[in-house]
Amino acid sequence: MDWNNQYIHSVVLIVAITVAFLTIMLLVAATVLAERRVLALIQGRLGPNRVGFGGVLQPFADFIKTMMKEDLVPDQSTKFVFMLAPMIAVVTAIMAIIVYPFGPVITLPFLGSFPLRIAQFDVALLYVLGVTSVGVYGIALAGWSSNNKYSLMGGLRSSAQMISYELALGLSLIGVILLSGTLDIYRIVEQQSGWFGMNWNIFYQPLGFILYLIAAIAETNRVPFDLPEAETELVAGFHTEYSSIKFLLFFNAEYINMITVSMLATTLFLGGWNGPGVAQIPLLGVVYFFAKILFFLFLYIWLRGTLPRFRFDQLMDFGWKVLLPAAILNIVLTATFQFLFMK
Amino acid sequence: MSTLLFIVFAGIAIGCAIAMVSQSNPLYSAISLIGVFVSLASIYVTLAAPFIAAVQVIVYAGAIMVLVIFVIMLLNVEQLEPRRKRLKFLVPLAIGMAALLLAETAFILYSVQSPERAGGNLSNVGLTHSIGEGLFTRYLLPFEVTSVLLLMAIVGAMSLARRTAILSATARVVPGAQVLAAHTLDPRAIGNLRAVESETTDEAAQLMGVEIASDDKGRD
Repeated sequence: MDWNNQYIHSVVLIVAITVAFLTIMLLVAATVLAERRVLALIQGRLGPNRVGFGGVLQPFADFIKTMMKEDLVPDQSTKFVFMLAPMIAVVTAIMAIIVYPFGPVITLPFLGSFPLRIAQFDVALLYVLGVTSVGVYGIALAGWSSNNKYSLMGGLRSSAQMISYELALGLSLIGVILLSGTLDIYRIVEQQSGWFGMNWNIFYQPLGFILYLIAAIAETNRVPFDLPEAETELVAGFHTEYSSIKFLLFFNAEYINMITVSMLATTLFLGGWNGPGVAQIPLLGVVYFFAKILFFLFLYIWLRGTLPRFRFDQLMDFGWKVLLPAAILNIVLTATFQFLFMK
Repeated sequence: MSTLLFIVFAGIAIGCAIAMVSQSNPLYSAISLIGVFVSLASIYVTLAAPFIAAVQVIVYAGAIMVLVIFVIMLLNVEQLEPRRKRLKFLVPLAIGMAALLLAETAFILYSVQSPERAGGNLSNVGLTHSIGEGLFTRYLLPFEVTSVLLLMAIVGAMSLARRTAILSATARVVPGAQVLAAHTLDPRAIGNLRAVESETTDEAAQLMGVEIASDDKGRD
Protein backbone atom coordinates (compact mmCIF):
# COMPACT_ATOMS: atom_id res chain seq x y z
CA MET A 1 0.00 0.00 0.00
CA ASP A 2 1.25 3.45 -0.86
CA TRP A 3 1.44 5.30 2.43
CA ASN A 4 2.79 8.47 0.85
CA ASN A 5 -0.36 9.10 -1.18
CA GLN A 6 -1.92 12.31 0.12
CA TYR A 7 -5.47 10.98 0.41
CA ILE A 8 -4.50 7.67 1.99
CA HIS A 9 -2.31 9.63 4.37
CA SER A 10 -5.23 11.83 5.45
CA VAL A 11 -7.49 8.83 6.03
CA VAL A 12 -4.76 7.07 8.00
CA LEU A 13 -4.28 10.19 10.13
CA ILE A 14 -7.97 10.44 10.94
CA VAL A 15 -8.10 6.73 11.84
CA ALA A 16 -4.97 7.07 13.98
CA ILE A 17 -6.34 10.10 15.85
CA THR A 18 -9.64 8.30 16.47
CA VAL A 19 -7.88 5.19 17.76
CA ALA A 20 -5.61 7.25 20.03
CA PHE A 21 -8.57 9.26 21.32
CA LEU A 22 -10.62 6.15 22.12
CA THR A 23 -7.60 4.50 23.75
CA ILE A 24 -7.09 7.52 26.00
CA MET A 25 -10.79 7.67 26.87
CA LEU A 26 -10.84 3.96 27.79
CA LEU A 27 -7.68 4.51 29.80
CA VAL A 28 -9.42 7.37 31.63
CA ALA A 29 -12.35 5.09 32.49
CA ALA A 30 -9.95 2.38 33.65
CA THR A 31 -7.99 4.88 35.77
CA VAL A 32 -11.16 6.21 37.43
CA LEU A 33 -12.20 2.70 38.37
CA ALA A 34 -8.68 1.71 39.41
CA GLU A 35 -8.41 4.82 41.56
CA ARG A 36 -11.57 3.93 43.48
CA ARG A 37 -10.66 0.25 43.83
CA VAL A 38 -7.03 0.83 44.81
CA LEU A 39 -7.97 3.58 47.28
CA ALA A 40 -10.48 1.16 48.78
CA LEU A 41 -7.76 -1.46 49.01
CA ILE A 42 -5.44 0.98 50.78
CA GLN A 43 -8.20 1.99 53.20
CA GLY A 44 -9.40 -1.57 53.83
CA ARG A 45 -12.69 -1.22 51.96
CA LEU A 46 -14.13 -2.99 48.93
CA GLY A 47 -14.85 -0.11 46.56
CA PRO A 48 -17.40 -0.24 43.72
CA ASN A 49 -17.74 -3.90 42.70
CA ARG A 50 -21.35 -4.36 41.63
CA VAL A 51 -21.80 -2.87 38.14
CA GLY A 52 -20.55 -5.41 35.63
CA PHE A 53 -17.98 -8.04 36.50
CA GLY A 54 -16.08 -6.78 39.54
CA GLY A 55 -17.26 -3.21 38.86
CA VAL A 56 -15.72 -2.77 35.39
CA LEU A 57 -18.80 -0.94 34.14
CA GLN A 58 -18.90 1.49 37.09
CA PRO A 59 -17.19 4.40 35.20
CA PHE A 60 -19.72 4.10 32.38
CA ALA A 61 -22.63 4.02 34.84
CA ASP A 62 -21.22 7.13 36.50
CA PHE A 63 -20.81 8.74 33.10
CA ILE A 64 -24.48 8.17 32.22
CA LYS A 65 -25.59 9.35 35.65
CA THR A 66 -23.58 12.59 35.39
CA MET A 67 -24.82 13.23 31.85
CA MET A 68 -28.43 12.97 33.01
CA LYS A 69 -28.04 15.66 35.68
CA GLU A 70 -29.28 19.20 35.23
CA ASP A 71 -26.72 21.56 33.69
CA LEU A 72 -26.76 24.42 36.18
CA VAL A 73 -25.32 27.83 35.27
CA PRO A 74 -24.98 30.34 38.13
CA ASP A 75 -27.17 33.38 37.64
CA GLN A 76 -24.40 35.93 38.23
CA SER A 77 -21.72 34.10 36.28
CA THR A 78 -20.05 35.25 33.07
CA LYS A 79 -21.95 32.82 30.86
CA PHE A 80 -19.67 32.70 27.82
CA VAL A 81 -16.44 32.23 29.78
CA PHE A 82 -18.21 29.77 32.08
CA MET A 83 -18.99 27.64 29.04
CA LEU A 84 -15.58 28.14 27.41
CA ALA A 85 -13.46 27.11 30.41
CA PRO A 86 -14.18 23.33 30.48
CA MET A 87 -13.70 23.18 26.71
CA ILE A 88 -10.24 24.77 26.98
CA ALA A 89 -9.34 22.38 29.77
CA VAL A 90 -10.25 19.21 27.91
CA VAL A 91 -9.07 20.27 24.43
CA THR A 92 -5.60 21.33 25.59
CA ALA A 93 -5.34 18.16 27.66
CA ILE A 94 -6.12 15.89 24.73
CA MET A 95 -4.06 17.83 22.16
CA ALA A 96 -0.82 16.69 23.75
CA ILE A 97 -1.31 12.99 22.90
CA ILE A 98 -0.54 13.30 19.18
CA VAL A 99 3.24 13.44 19.64
CA TYR A 100 3.68 10.26 21.69
CA PRO A 101 4.77 7.11 19.84
CA PHE A 102 2.71 4.16 21.11
CA GLY A 103 5.11 1.59 19.71
CA PRO A 104 7.90 0.87 17.21
CA VAL A 105 7.42 0.25 13.49
CA ILE A 106 4.86 -2.54 13.21
CA THR A 107 4.51 -4.87 10.21
CA LEU A 108 1.04 -6.25 9.64
CA PRO A 109 -0.10 -8.63 6.87
CA PHE A 110 -1.74 -6.87 3.85
CA LEU A 111 -1.12 -3.40 5.36
CA GLY A 112 2.66 -3.21 5.22
CA SER A 113 4.75 -1.65 7.95
CA PHE A 114 4.03 1.63 9.67
CA PRO A 115 5.11 3.38 12.89
CA LEU A 116 2.58 3.64 15.72
CA ARG A 117 2.50 7.40 16.03
CA ILE A 118 0.29 10.22 14.80
CA ALA A 119 2.76 13.03 14.21
CA GLN A 120 6.50 13.42 14.28
CA PHE A 121 7.98 16.88 14.15
CA ASP A 122 11.02 18.85 15.16
CA VAL A 123 9.64 20.67 18.21
CA ALA A 124 7.39 17.96 19.69
CA LEU A 125 8.62 18.55 23.24
CA LEU A 126 8.06 22.32 23.03
CA TYR A 127 4.62 21.62 21.58
CA VAL A 128 3.74 19.53 24.64
CA LEU A 129 4.98 22.26 27.00
CA GLY A 130 3.08 24.92 25.06
CA VAL A 131 -0.18 23.01 25.09
CA THR A 132 0.23 22.32 28.81
CA SER A 133 0.84 25.99 29.54
CA VAL A 134 -2.34 27.00 27.69
CA GLY A 135 -4.24 24.46 29.82
CA VAL A 136 -3.98 26.79 32.83
CA TYR A 137 -6.68 29.00 31.31
CA GLY A 138 -9.32 26.31 31.68
CA ILE A 139 -8.97 26.30 35.45
CA ALA A 140 -8.26 30.02 35.90
CA LEU A 141 -11.22 31.12 33.79
CA ALA A 142 -13.51 28.57 35.42
CA GLY A 143 -12.63 30.00 38.81
CA TRP A 144 -13.13 33.57 37.67
CA SER A 145 -16.37 33.16 35.71
CA SER A 146 -18.24 31.19 38.37
CA ASN A 147 -18.61 34.33 40.51
CA ASN A 148 -18.06 32.29 43.65
CA LYS A 149 -15.35 33.09 46.17
CA TYR A 150 -14.31 29.46 46.59
CA SER A 151 -14.04 29.03 42.84
CA LEU A 152 -12.01 32.23 42.53
CA MET A 153 -9.65 31.13 45.29
CA GLY A 154 -9.25 27.75 43.58
CA GLY A 155 -8.60 29.39 40.22
CA LEU A 156 -6.04 31.80 41.67
CA ARG A 157 -4.25 29.07 43.58
CA SER A 158 -4.13 26.87 40.56
CA SER A 159 -2.75 29.58 38.26
CA ALA A 160 -0.05 30.49 40.77
CA GLN A 161 0.80 26.83 41.29
CA MET A 162 0.91 25.92 37.62
CA ILE A 163 3.03 28.95 36.68
CA SER A 164 5.51 28.11 39.44
CA TYR A 165 5.80 24.40 38.72
CA GLU A 166 5.86 24.78 34.94
CA LEU A 167 9.30 26.35 35.28
CA ALA A 168 10.66 23.43 37.27
CA LEU A 169 8.95 21.01 34.87
CA GLY A 170 10.51 22.59 31.80
CA LEU A 171 13.97 22.89 33.37
CA SER A 172 13.95 19.27 34.59
CA LEU A 173 13.56 18.14 30.96
CA ILE A 174 16.57 20.10 29.69
CA GLY A 175 18.96 17.39 30.94
CA VAL A 176 17.30 14.88 28.63
CA ILE A 177 17.37 17.36 25.75
CA LEU A 178 21.10 17.94 26.31
CA LEU A 179 21.72 14.17 26.25
CA SER A 180 19.72 13.45 23.12
CA GLY A 181 20.39 16.66 21.23
CA THR A 182 16.87 16.86 19.81
CA LEU A 183 13.37 17.99 20.76
CA ASP A 184 11.75 15.30 18.64
CA ILE A 185 10.11 12.82 21.03
CA TYR A 186 10.14 9.97 18.50
CA ARG A 187 13.91 10.28 18.05
CA ILE A 188 14.46 10.58 21.82
CA VAL A 189 12.66 7.24 22.22
CA GLU A 190 14.67 5.63 19.40
CA GLN A 191 17.93 6.73 21.03
CA GLN A 192 17.08 4.75 24.17
CA SER A 193 16.92 1.38 22.40
CA GLY A 194 20.48 0.18 23.19
CA TRP A 195 21.42 -2.43 25.86
CA PHE A 196 18.63 -4.80 24.69
CA GLY A 197 16.11 -1.98 25.01
CA MET A 198 17.21 -0.94 28.51
CA ASN A 199 19.36 2.12 27.65
CA TRP A 200 16.88 4.43 29.34
CA ASN A 201 17.49 8.08 30.15
CA ILE A 202 16.54 7.55 33.80
CA PHE A 203 19.96 5.93 34.38
CA TYR A 204 21.67 9.13 33.18
CA GLN A 205 19.12 11.56 34.61
CA PRO A 206 17.96 10.24 38.02
CA LEU A 207 17.68 13.75 39.51
CA GLY A 208 15.88 15.08 36.44
CA PHE A 209 13.43 12.19 36.62
CA ILE A 210 12.54 12.80 40.26
CA LEU A 211 12.18 16.54 39.68
CA TYR A 212 9.98 15.94 36.64
CA LEU A 213 7.79 13.51 38.57
CA ILE A 214 7.20 15.97 41.43
CA ALA A 215 6.57 18.90 39.09
CA ALA A 216 4.23 16.80 36.95
CA ILE A 217 2.13 15.83 39.96
CA ALA A 218 1.87 19.51 40.89
CA GLU A 219 1.07 20.42 37.28
CA THR A 220 -1.88 18.02 37.21
CA ASN A 221 -3.19 19.31 40.57
CA ARG A 222 -3.09 15.90 42.21
CA VAL A 223 -2.45 14.92 45.84
CA PRO A 224 -0.31 16.14 47.62
CA PHE A 225 -0.51 19.31 45.47
CA ASP A 226 -4.31 19.43 45.03
CA LEU A 227 -4.66 22.91 46.55
CA PRO A 228 -6.97 24.22 43.77
CA GLU A 229 -9.70 21.81 44.86
CA ALA A 230 -8.88 21.37 48.54
CA GLU A 231 -12.20 19.97 49.78
CA THR A 232 -11.75 21.02 53.38
CA GLU A 233 -11.14 24.69 52.54
CA LEU A 234 -12.68 25.44 49.15
CA VAL A 235 -15.69 23.04 48.81
CA ALA A 236 -14.50 21.81 45.41
CA GLY A 237 -12.26 24.66 44.29
CA PHE A 238 -12.53 25.92 40.73
CA HIS A 239 -15.28 23.46 39.71
CA THR A 240 -17.62 24.13 42.64
CA GLU A 241 -20.30 25.63 40.38
CA TYR A 242 -19.98 23.11 37.57
CA SER A 243 -22.42 20.25 37.10
CA SER A 244 -23.42 17.65 34.54
CA ILE A 245 -21.43 17.53 31.29
CA LYS A 246 -19.22 20.51 32.16
CA PHE A 247 -18.12 18.87 35.40
CA LEU A 248 -17.50 15.71 33.42
CA LEU A 249 -15.21 17.64 31.05
CA PHE A 250 -13.10 18.96 33.95
CA PHE A 251 -13.03 15.49 35.47
CA ASN A 252 -11.88 14.02 32.14
CA ALA A 253 -9.32 16.77 31.63
CA GLU A 254 -7.69 15.97 34.98
CA TYR A 255 -7.35 12.29 34.13
CA ILE A 256 -6.21 12.94 30.55
CA ASN A 257 -3.56 15.27 31.97
CA MET A 258 -2.42 12.51 34.32
CA ILE A 259 -2.12 10.15 31.37
CA THR A 260 -0.25 12.62 29.16
CA VAL A 261 2.32 13.55 31.81
CA SER A 262 2.78 9.82 32.44
CA MET A 263 3.34 9.37 28.70
CA LEU A 264 5.93 12.15 28.70
CA ALA A 265 7.73 10.59 31.68
CA THR A 266 7.63 7.21 29.94
CA THR A 267 8.95 8.48 26.61
CA LEU A 268 11.65 10.77 27.98
CA PHE A 269 12.94 8.81 30.96
CA LEU A 270 11.77 5.19 30.78
CA GLY A 271 12.54 4.52 27.11
CA GLY A 272 8.99 4.73 25.74
CA TRP A 273 8.21 1.45 23.99
CA ASN A 274 11.74 0.14 24.48
CA GLY A 275 12.33 -2.99 26.51
CA PRO A 276 13.90 -6.45 26.28
CA GLY A 277 12.70 -8.33 23.20
CA VAL A 278 11.13 -5.43 21.31
CA ALA A 279 13.67 -5.78 18.49
CA GLN A 280 12.37 -9.34 17.87
CA ILE A 281 8.65 -8.85 18.56
CA PRO A 282 7.68 -5.20 17.78
CA LEU A 283 4.14 -5.58 19.20
CA LEU A 284 5.71 -6.14 22.62
CA GLY A 285 6.65 -2.44 22.51
CA VAL A 286 3.00 -1.40 22.79
CA VAL A 287 2.64 -3.61 25.85
CA TYR A 288 5.76 -2.10 27.45
CA PHE A 289 4.55 1.43 26.70
CA PHE A 290 1.18 0.95 28.34
CA ALA A 291 2.66 -1.04 31.22
CA LYS A 292 4.93 1.91 32.04
CA ILE A 293 2.01 4.36 31.83
CA LEU A 294 -0.07 2.16 34.12
CA PHE A 295 2.82 2.11 36.58
CA PHE A 296 2.78 5.94 36.75
CA LEU A 297 -1.01 6.02 37.07
CA PHE A 298 -0.77 3.53 39.94
CA LEU A 299 1.84 5.79 41.53
CA TYR A 300 -0.61 8.70 41.36
CA ILE A 301 -3.30 6.67 43.12
CA TRP A 302 -0.82 5.32 45.64
CA LEU A 303 0.29 8.85 46.53
CA ARG A 304 -3.34 9.94 46.90
CA GLY A 305 -3.92 7.13 49.34
CA THR A 306 -0.88 7.91 51.47
CA LEU A 307 0.09 11.59 51.49
CA PRO A 308 -1.58 14.60 53.17
CA ARG A 309 -1.97 17.91 51.35
CA PHE A 310 0.65 20.69 51.33
CA ARG A 311 -0.11 24.07 52.84
CA PHE A 312 -0.11 26.80 50.19
CA ASP A 313 2.98 28.69 51.37
CA GLN A 314 4.84 25.38 51.75
CA LEU A 315 3.87 24.56 48.19
CA MET A 316 5.24 27.84 46.84
CA ASP A 317 8.41 27.60 48.96
CA PHE A 318 9.01 24.05 47.75
CA GLY A 319 8.51 24.96 44.10
CA TRP A 320 10.71 28.04 44.05
CA LYS A 321 13.34 27.26 46.68
CA VAL A 322 13.87 23.51 46.24
CA LEU A 323 12.68 22.29 42.84
CA LEU A 324 13.89 25.21 40.74
CA PRO A 325 17.48 25.36 42.13
CA ALA A 326 17.70 21.56 41.94
CA ALA A 327 16.59 21.65 38.30
CA ILE A 328 19.19 24.29 37.48
CA LEU A 329 21.83 22.21 39.29
CA ASN A 330 20.80 19.23 37.20
CA ILE A 331 21.31 21.22 34.00
CA VAL A 332 24.77 22.39 35.10
CA LEU A 333 25.80 18.85 36.14
CA THR A 334 24.54 17.31 32.90
CA ALA A 335 26.24 19.90 30.73
CA THR A 336 29.53 19.51 32.65
CA PHE A 337 29.52 15.71 32.43
CA GLN A 338 28.65 15.80 28.79
CA PHE A 339 31.45 18.26 28.05
CA LEU A 340 34.02 16.21 30.01
CA PHE A 341 33.16 12.62 29.07
CA MET A 342 31.05 12.51 25.95
CA LYS A 343 32.93 14.72 23.52
CA MET B 1 -4.33 23.01 1.73
CA SER B 2 -1.84 25.35 3.35
CA THR B 3 -3.54 28.34 1.66
CA LEU B 4 -6.85 27.24 3.18
CA LEU B 5 -5.23 26.92 6.62
CA PHE B 6 -3.67 30.35 6.20
CA ILE B 7 -7.04 31.93 5.34
CA VAL B 8 -8.74 30.22 8.30
CA PHE B 9 -6.13 31.21 10.88
CA ALA B 10 -5.60 34.70 9.46
CA GLY B 11 -9.37 35.21 9.68
CA ILE B 12 -9.42 34.04 13.29
CA ALA B 13 -6.45 36.28 14.12
CA ILE B 14 -8.06 39.39 12.60
CA GLY B 15 -11.42 38.61 14.20
CA CYS B 16 -9.82 38.14 17.62
CA ALA B 17 -7.78 41.33 17.18
CA ILE B 18 -10.91 43.34 16.40
CA ALA B 19 -12.69 41.75 19.35
CA MET B 20 -9.71 42.58 21.55
CA VAL B 21 -9.87 46.33 20.93
CA SER B 22 -13.67 46.57 20.86
CA GLN B 23 -14.45 44.70 24.08
CA SER B 24 -15.15 46.76 27.17
CA ASN B 25 -14.49 43.89 29.60
CA PRO B 26 -10.70 43.54 30.04
CA LEU B 27 -10.95 39.78 30.54
CA TYR B 28 -12.67 39.33 27.17
CA SER B 29 -9.94 41.45 25.61
CA ALA B 30 -7.31 39.21 27.19
CA ILE B 31 -9.02 36.04 25.93
CA SER B 32 -9.23 37.54 22.43
CA LEU B 33 -5.52 38.36 22.58
CA ILE B 34 -4.79 34.72 23.44
CA GLY B 35 -6.81 33.79 20.36
CA VAL B 36 -4.63 36.13 18.27
CA PHE B 37 -1.43 34.57 19.63
CA VAL B 38 -2.57 30.99 19.08
CA SER B 39 -3.73 31.63 15.51
CA LEU B 40 -0.47 33.48 14.77
CA ALA B 41 1.38 30.41 16.03
CA SER B 42 -0.66 28.26 13.66
CA ILE B 43 0.29 30.56 10.77
CA TYR B 44 3.96 30.19 11.73
CA VAL B 45 3.58 26.41 11.47
CA THR B 46 2.26 26.71 7.92
CA LEU B 47 5.23 28.97 7.13
CA ALA B 48 7.71 26.19 8.10
CA ALA B 49 8.76 27.85 11.38
CA PRO B 50 7.66 25.32 14.02
CA PHE B 51 10.13 26.55 16.64
CA ILE B 52 8.85 30.13 16.51
CA ALA B 53 5.31 28.78 16.71
CA ALA B 54 6.02 26.72 19.82
CA VAL B 55 7.85 29.58 21.51
CA GLN B 56 5.03 31.96 20.60
CA VAL B 57 2.53 29.72 22.38
CA ILE B 58 4.76 29.05 25.40
CA VAL B 59 5.91 32.64 25.99
CA TYR B 60 3.02 34.81 24.88
CA ALA B 61 -0.06 32.62 25.26
CA GLY B 62 1.28 30.52 28.11
CA ALA B 63 3.28 32.88 30.30
CA ILE B 64 2.55 36.56 29.63
CA MET B 65 -1.20 36.26 29.14
CA VAL B 66 -1.53 34.03 32.21
CA LEU B 67 -0.02 36.86 34.24
CA VAL B 68 -2.36 39.39 32.62
CA ILE B 69 -5.40 37.24 33.41
CA PHE B 70 -4.06 36.66 36.91
CA VAL B 71 -3.92 40.42 37.48
CA ILE B 72 -7.40 40.97 36.01
CA MET B 73 -8.77 38.25 38.30
CA LEU B 74 -7.07 39.77 41.34
CA LEU B 75 -8.24 43.32 40.62
CA ASN B 76 -11.78 42.13 39.84
CA VAL B 77 -12.48 44.93 37.38
CA GLU B 78 -15.69 43.46 35.99
CA GLN B 79 -17.92 45.91 37.88
CA LEU B 80 -16.26 48.89 36.20
CA GLU B 81 -18.92 51.13 34.78
CA PRO B 82 -18.59 52.00 31.10
CA ARG B 83 -16.53 55.16 31.11
CA ARG B 84 -17.30 58.07 28.89
CA LYS B 85 -15.12 58.18 25.83
CA ARG B 86 -11.92 60.08 26.33
CA LEU B 87 -9.46 61.30 23.74
CA LYS B 88 -12.02 61.27 20.94
CA PHE B 89 -9.62 62.78 18.44
CA LEU B 90 -7.73 59.47 18.43
CA VAL B 91 -10.56 57.68 16.58
CA PRO B 92 -10.17 59.46 13.21
CA LEU B 93 -6.40 59.31 13.66
CA ALA B 94 -6.57 55.52 14.11
CA ILE B 95 -8.80 55.14 11.06
CA GLY B 96 -6.39 57.25 9.03
CA MET B 97 -3.42 55.18 10.08
CA ALA B 98 -5.28 51.94 9.34
CA ALA B 99 -6.06 53.26 5.86
CA LEU B 100 -2.40 54.13 5.40
CA LEU B 101 -1.35 50.60 6.39
CA LEU B 102 -3.89 49.07 4.02
CA ALA B 103 -2.65 51.30 1.20
CA GLU B 104 0.89 50.20 1.99
CA THR B 105 -0.09 46.53 1.85
CA ALA B 106 -1.89 47.07 -1.44
CA PHE B 107 1.17 48.87 -2.82
CA ILE B 108 3.42 45.97 -1.88
CA LEU B 109 1.01 43.41 -3.33
CA TYR B 110 0.58 45.12 -6.68
CA SER B 111 3.77 47.07 -7.30
CA VAL B 112 6.45 44.68 -6.10
CA GLN B 113 5.93 41.93 -8.66
CA SER B 114 8.34 39.12 -7.78
CA PRO B 115 9.77 39.39 -4.27
CA GLU B 116 13.18 37.83 -4.02
CA ARG B 117 13.28 34.64 -2.10
CA ALA B 118 15.56 34.24 0.88
CA GLY B 119 18.52 32.09 0.00
CA GLY B 120 19.46 28.71 1.41
CA ASN B 121 17.34 25.70 2.19
CA LEU B 122 14.04 27.22 3.30
CA SER B 123 12.71 24.09 4.97
CA ASN B 124 15.61 24.08 7.43
CA VAL B 125 15.48 27.70 8.54
CA GLY B 126 12.68 27.36 11.09
CA LEU B 127 14.05 24.27 12.79
CA THR B 128 15.49 24.28 16.31
CA HIS B 129 18.97 23.33 15.20
CA SER B 130 19.46 26.18 12.74
CA ILE B 131 17.92 28.76 15.09
CA GLY B 132 20.18 27.64 17.95
CA GLU B 133 23.23 27.69 15.69
CA GLY B 134 22.39 31.19 14.48
CA LEU B 135 21.75 32.51 17.99
CA PHE B 136 25.01 31.24 19.44
CA THR B 137 27.37 31.98 16.56
CA ARG B 138 26.43 34.76 14.18
CA TYR B 139 24.00 36.64 16.43
CA LEU B 140 25.70 35.95 19.76
CA LEU B 141 26.16 39.62 20.72
CA PRO B 142 22.53 40.71 20.14
CA PHE B 143 21.40 37.56 21.97
CA GLU B 144 23.54 38.32 25.04
CA VAL B 145 22.59 42.01 25.00
CA THR B 146 18.91 41.05 24.98
CA SER B 147 19.41 38.73 27.94
CA VAL B 148 21.15 41.52 29.88
CA LEU B 149 18.21 43.78 29.04
CA LEU B 150 15.77 41.21 30.45
CA LEU B 151 17.90 40.80 33.55
CA MET B 152 17.81 44.58 34.06
CA ALA B 153 14.02 44.52 33.80
CA ILE B 154 13.85 41.80 36.47
CA VAL B 155 16.18 43.67 38.82
CA GLY B 156 14.25 46.90 38.26
CA ALA B 157 10.92 45.23 39.00
CA MET B 158 12.33 43.68 42.17
CA SER B 159 13.73 46.96 43.47
CA LEU B 160 10.48 48.82 42.71
CA ALA B 161 8.40 46.13 44.40
CA ARG B 162 10.61 46.17 47.50
CA ARG B 163 10.52 49.94 47.84
CA THR B 164 6.72 50.14 47.95
CA ALA B 165 6.07 47.00 49.95
CA ILE B 166 5.10 47.47 53.58
CA LEU B 167 6.79 44.22 54.56
CA SER B 168 10.22 43.14 53.51
CA ALA B 169 10.62 40.24 51.12
CA THR B 170 11.58 37.92 53.97
CA ALA B 171 8.24 38.40 55.76
CA ARG B 172 6.02 35.35 55.99
CA VAL B 173 2.32 35.33 55.27
CA VAL B 174 0.56 32.77 57.41
CA PRO B 175 -2.88 31.61 56.22
CA GLY B 176 -5.55 32.52 58.74
CA ALA B 177 -3.45 35.30 60.28
CA GLN B 178 -2.47 37.23 57.21
CA VAL B 179 -0.49 40.42 57.46
CA LEU B 180 -2.53 43.27 56.02
CA ALA B 181 -1.41 44.96 52.82
CA ALA B 182 -0.50 48.65 52.89
CA HIS B 183 -3.62 49.97 51.19
CA THR B 184 -5.99 48.21 53.59
CA LEU B 185 -4.54 50.06 56.58
CA ASP B 186 -5.76 53.45 57.67
CA PRO B 187 -2.60 55.59 57.62
CA ARG B 188 -4.00 57.91 60.33
CA ALA B 189 -4.42 55.04 62.77
CA ILE B 190 -0.78 54.00 62.77
CA GLY B 191 0.83 57.25 61.72
CA ASN B 192 3.99 56.48 59.80
CA LEU B 193 3.54 53.41 57.61
CA ARG B 194 7.23 52.61 57.65
CA ALA B 195 6.95 51.79 61.30
CA VAL B 196 5.23 48.51 60.37
CA GLU B 197 8.15 47.32 58.30
CA SER B 198 9.34 44.08 59.82
CA GLU B 199 10.99 40.78 59.13
CA THR B 200 8.38 38.31 60.37
CA THR B 201 4.64 38.01 60.74
CA ASP B 202 4.89 37.99 64.52
CA GLU B 203 6.90 41.19 64.52
CA ALA B 204 4.51 42.89 62.10
CA ALA B 205 1.51 41.81 64.12
CA GLN B 206 3.16 43.11 67.29
CA LEU B 207 3.88 46.48 65.71
CA MET B 208 0.35 46.73 64.37
CA GLY B 209 -1.22 45.59 67.62
CA VAL B 210 -2.90 42.56 66.06
CA GLU B 211 -3.35 39.29 67.95
CA ILE B 212 -2.06 36.18 66.25
CA ALA B 213 -3.55 32.86 67.28
CA SER B 214 -0.88 30.97 69.16
CA ASP B 215 -1.12 27.82 67.03
CA ASP B 216 0.03 29.77 63.98
CA LYS B 217 3.38 30.49 65.56
CA GLY B 218 6.30 28.30 64.75
CA ARG B 219 4.70 26.75 61.67
CA ASP B 220 7.37 28.09 59.44
